[in-house]
Amino acid sequence: MRIGIDVGGTFTDVVLIDDQRGKIHYTKTFTTPKNPAQGVLNGIEKILNIANASIADLDYMVHGHGTTIGTNALIERKGARTGLLTTRGFRDVLEIARVERPDEGLYDFLVDLPAPLVPRFLRAEVDERVDAHGSVVHPLDEDSVVRAVNYLKAQRVETIAVCLLFSFLNPAHEQRVKEICNEIYPEAPVSLSSSICPEFREFERTSTTVINAYLQPIVERYLRNLTAMLNEKYGAVQVRIMQASGGAISAEAAREHAVNIVNSGPAGGTVAGAFIGGLIGDKYVMTVDMGGTSFDIGLVIDGVPRISSEGKFEGYPVKIPAVDVHALGAGGGSIAWVDAGGALNVGPQSASSDPGPACYGVGGELPTVTDANLVLGRLNPDYFLGGEIKLYPERAHAAIEKHVAQPLGMSLEQAAYGIIRVVNANMVKGMAGSSIEKGFDPREFTLLAFGGAGALHACELAQEIGMKKVVVPLYPGAFSAFGLVTSDIRHDYVQTVAKSASALDLDALERAYKTMEAQARAALAEEKIAAEDIAIQWTADLRYAGQAYELNVPVVHNGRLTRKEIDATVARFHALHQKVYAYSSEKEGVDVINVRLTGIGQVPDVKLPKRKRAAQTTRAALKNKRRVYFAERGFVNVPVYERDLLKPGMTLPGPCMIEEIISSTVVIPGATAKLDGWGNIVITLGQTR
Amino acid sequence: MPKKKLHADPVLIQVLRYAMEQIADEMGHTLIRTARSTVIKEIKDISCAVFDRNGNTIAQAHHAPMLLTGFELGMRQLRAQFRDEDLSDGDVIVFNDPYNGGQHVMDLVTFAPVFHKNKLVGFVGSMAHHADLGGAAPGGTQGGLTEIYQEGLRLPMVKLYKKGQEDAELFGILNNNIRVPDKTLGDIRAQASANFVGARRLREIFERYTPIVVQTHTDALLDYSEKRIRAGLEKIPDGTYTGVDYVDDDGLTGKPIKLQVNIHKQGDHAVVDFDGTDEQVPGNVNCPLATVHAAVYYALIAVVDPHVAPNSGCYRPFQVNAREGLVVNPKLPRACGARTQTSQKITEAMLLALSQALPERVMAGSHGQITNCGFSGYHSANAHETGKRFVYIDIQGGGAGARFCRDGRDGQDSHLARFLNTPVEAVELEFPARVECYEFIPDTGGAGKYRGALGLRRDIRVLIDDMSFARYGDRQVYGAFGLFGGKEGAKGKFILNPDSPDERPLKSKGLDKLKKGDVVSLRLPGGGGYGAPSERDPQAVVRDVRDGKVSFAAAESEYGVVIDDETLSVDASAREGVARQRADASVDKVATRAARK
Repeated sequence: MRIGIDVGGTFTDVVLIDDQRGKIHYTKTFTTPKNPAQGVLNGIEKILNIANASIADLDYMVHGHGTTIGTNALIERKGARTGLLTTRGFRDVLEIARVERPDEGLYDFLVDLPAPLVPRFLRAEVDERVDAHGSVVHPLDEDSVVRAVNYLKAQRVETIAVCLLFSFLNPAHEQRVKEICNEIYPEAPVSLSSSICPEFREFERTSTTVINAYLQPIVERYLRNLTAMLNEKYGAVQVRIMQASGGAISAEAAREHAVNIVNSGPAGGTVAGAFIGGLIGDKYVMTVDMGGTSFDIGLVIDGVPRISSEGKFEGYPVKIPAVDVHALGAGGGSIAWVDAGGALNVGPQSASSDPGPACYGVGGELPTVTDANLVLGRLNPDYFLGGEIKLYPERAHAAIEKHVAQPLGMSLEQAAYGIIRVVNANMVKGMAGSSIEKGFDPREFTLLAFGGAGALHACELAQEIGMKKVVVPLYPGAFSAFGLVTSDIRHDYVQTVAKSASALDLDALERAYKTMEAQARAALAEEKIAAEDIAIQWTADLRYAGQAYELNVPVVHNGRLTRKEIDATVARFHALHQKVYAYSSEKEGVDVINVRLTGIGQVPDVKLPKRKRAAQTTRAALKNKRRVYFAERGFVNVPVYERDLLKPGMTLPGPCMIEEIISSTVVIPGATAKLDGWGNIVITLGQTR
Repeated sequence: MPKKKLHADPVLIQVLRYAMEQIADEMGHTLIRTARSTVIKEIKDISCAVFDRNGNTIAQAHHAPMLLTGFELGMRQLRAQFRDEDLSDGDVIVFNDPYNGGQHVMDLVTFAPVFHKNKLVGFVGSMAHHADLGGAAPGGTQGGLTEIYQEGLRLPMVKLYKKGQEDAELFGILNNNIRVPDKTLGDIRAQASANFVGARRLREIFERYTPIVVQTHTDALLDYSEKRIRAGLEKIPDGTYTGVDYVDDDGLTGKPIKLQVNIHKQGDHAVVDFDGTDEQVPGNVNCPLATVHAAVYYALIAVVDPHVAPNSGCYRPFQVNAREGLVVNPKLPRACGARTQTSQKITEAMLLALSQALPERVMAGSHGQITNCGFSGYHSANAHETGKRFVYIDIQGGGAGARFCRDGRDGQDSHLARFLNTPVEAVELEFPARVECYEFIPDTGGAGKYRGALGLRRDIRVLIDDMSFARYGDRQVYGAFGLFGGKEGAKGKFILNPDSPDERPLKSKGLDKLKKGDVVSLRLPGGGGYGAPSERDPQAVVRDVRDGKVSFAAAESEYGVVIDDETLSVDASAREGVARQRADASVDKVATRAARK
């Protein structure tokens, strides 16, 4: 038995998979922001009751979180008081950043880069210098380290980040600095850039290391508290923590790598997308998670969530491998408004849940995407969150009429549908950016939509982009939590090489991989993963000589690296470069920048119960009929089905609506929905474009 | 019978706008990812845009505003020179002529036509600053050149690609005339590849919506932006607003160059003239029209409506009158490689002028210059690329001005140039140089209720002999102005071998030969302050002193805040006393440059 718990901003979602009985259970409970661990315990208790199960049967739980633990600490600047040690002359790198102002500040004088997490007076310098070959130019002056650490100690920092130039080539100085910190000030945990993020570009590396240091005490405190509360109530429970990479690690290992586990919730959705894709035989899946305030886009490529290490977190670069989730500020709460030039805009302002969309009737006066969906008949005012929240259509009408229809001289329906089209266009832009810019044609993907609002928009988004298939999975409201349960354990390692592929020291390279592999195997063994369940992947970041950005390609090997393996890797790079950038050249030199190793501890497969298809009439699931608005057709009286009453094999021609407690699926004209054996709604789009 | 006019759907306008912005972003992404020179791949001195068939800019990627608005004149020239039937699918047209709508020689502009059913329906374009295009100085960065012929190859509008094939002859000419052809030709191909990617995507849009629908809606999008700018202009009181700033010198004559902008705002439009501006100069700070337009448009959009969709419609309510022969509209063959020193000052003068009408929408003076360094030489014998020529471009700005409600953000760029810096580790992995420091310089931000951002210091040690160091920079004589009682930002300077017996100042614009071990120290100017220093929150002064951004002495002399160096707290008795009044009195003597004209 396994449990996945995703702590979101409002709700904590819990999924329990009962492997023995082949059952899956799901529930939701409120997040308890002051002490999120309490919400986790509430969720466990609730799900155990629902599943009629005992904690004794639990193999392990996987815990992920969106904004609660790390992000809020960043936004509210409530991380630990952090000190930073740098090479002399470079303490301001963290604040100077790359000097580039944010995109939104191109013409707006008031938009600034986020303030550095370590103010200048807590940034101290040490005398040392390593050059671009990893050679020591100036040996480390230990007296300068002692002075700097004593200073930070006197300033009562709680944690120390260390980032010295070229430490990714030669970490000796950083390691010695850590020893001195531990001698003088053992209370403060130390984060070394050479272990958190051993890659070139000093600002990005410093930023990542500082975030790790800044959040580490908070994460540690939280995990200690959670473990203690669990132990007190249930005895020893095996807790794993989701990382942004889409793989879990043990709670013990997570303490050292705070930066890897913040904002791991969204990764769960893409991991679950890969799992569902595997079930239904689709290797290329785009996952979209649309809730009240955000729209998260992820990609599954060849059955695996796409990983990137170029992410930003609240405006701060974080160079760690993470599931590449692109978040847009578009959701059900996004506010529609007409600007001075007479254009209809949706977002980025959101009514969130307070004051909420106009139709909630709790103070919101401005029209939102949810209001538009209600006006268009796509939401059932009496069945929102299963009837938990009553919606007031007349308030939605009034808000859209006043703020959109009248200023634009449109009818109410045109205005409401305009809101949907504009928010969809924004989401389509994001979906295209997430795929095309990475070298993938979105039309070849299956669209997997979840979150409260995903299924309302999915068909039209797919149609707009030219995708042919939409899947709305079982439990779309707890899909990320489901992903947590299916995730493997994962440890990532990287080492910068920065040499021409033709001038590599193959023995040294092989040693680097083998050292990382030994580390990975040791870490997985510590997490009690049996040797036969361990999978090791060697990859490398390559680029043409002179470029600044790399592409990651697998290194296929038999435990040995010879010219043959390198040549094959370079050939793979040429092919990938052609695919991504429409250009490649075998005549040009190729550099190997980083070697990477991923150690994966495979968890037992989750076996979802598959029900036989039974050709039946859909009448049993038909609730009623309702007028719903569609492009070019206007309002159409369409059948409304209850998802929980649908049986595998049932076919529902569009236009129709499928309702469930957490979500509603719009099946557009020309599309056909079918329930598969696992309970997924699979929609095939017609040739309407 | 006249054709029935298609009515534009306000929703489809937005849908197409997003789609075209996405194309421009995708082009920029392709260019940065595939380029070879640090000036493109790290500094991102590029721009990408989508145009309608008449050459109007429809959508732009988020890059340097200087290059964004700068497409306009080039596009006009292209439409004048090429008829539809002269263009084919797969063509890429290249040019860089500052006397024909270009920026400076280093910025290559490329355009690709887009066809639908064999009819020309639109264009995509990309612009990038190149590491070298030949000429007297590597990277074209040397101050003090006098003729455009010294600045590099000047290309008229010619086809770089014909029907998707490289023009071997043109590539051959380029190859023979540039110092680092392996890099630069790679960068040019990267530009072409961005255009091909953009053209392919734009074609899909036309296939989906048909040309008549797209053109109707992009026309409406331009009208929409125009309407927003006009609405914003209506809110500004009518009148003439004048602002003046100075370029230190032209690198040859040592004389300051006056830039005066006069904004005549009437109803929903504005005419900007340069009466009072100096004539063209012998040195290379002359500013071609495309860049002048960019500087003017940028300031007006930023102040009037910073969140408008930036496209050609925005520029319709503006008229720019710059008489030929002025430094802001030079005659052939004047040199103009260092034009950014002038264009940045135009923006500064514009903001100073606009501060009279909209004090809360402007920024005090910023570093107002671009320090562009070109280090060049040959890799030494034992290096990875033995004996090979290299050109290392380092571009730096300085401190931004303070705003009506906030300090200048230390470290952040401002205005026309939106470059990234080059990481120290990227410099050293590629070039025989060692960066010895990159840090703020205390007491360089202009004092004020809100402080100007600090100037920066970057020291670069040369690791080979015979390294040439060409550069231009400015604001070493005229600092960034303060506003409403705020003080001027510190001036910049360049020093060779600081704190050594060999220490000597370097000219802001020039070329020197450096030997192994030499250190070039760039001291970049700080931003101006906003509001009287005496009004600054004493706790903000304490924070600055604690952070070492303002010294104890300056806290007292500039702000009248006496800080106890043990407890870092404000000495209240001194604060209430005469110190603050004295600080203010010194401010009164600093006349803003609006009055100085």
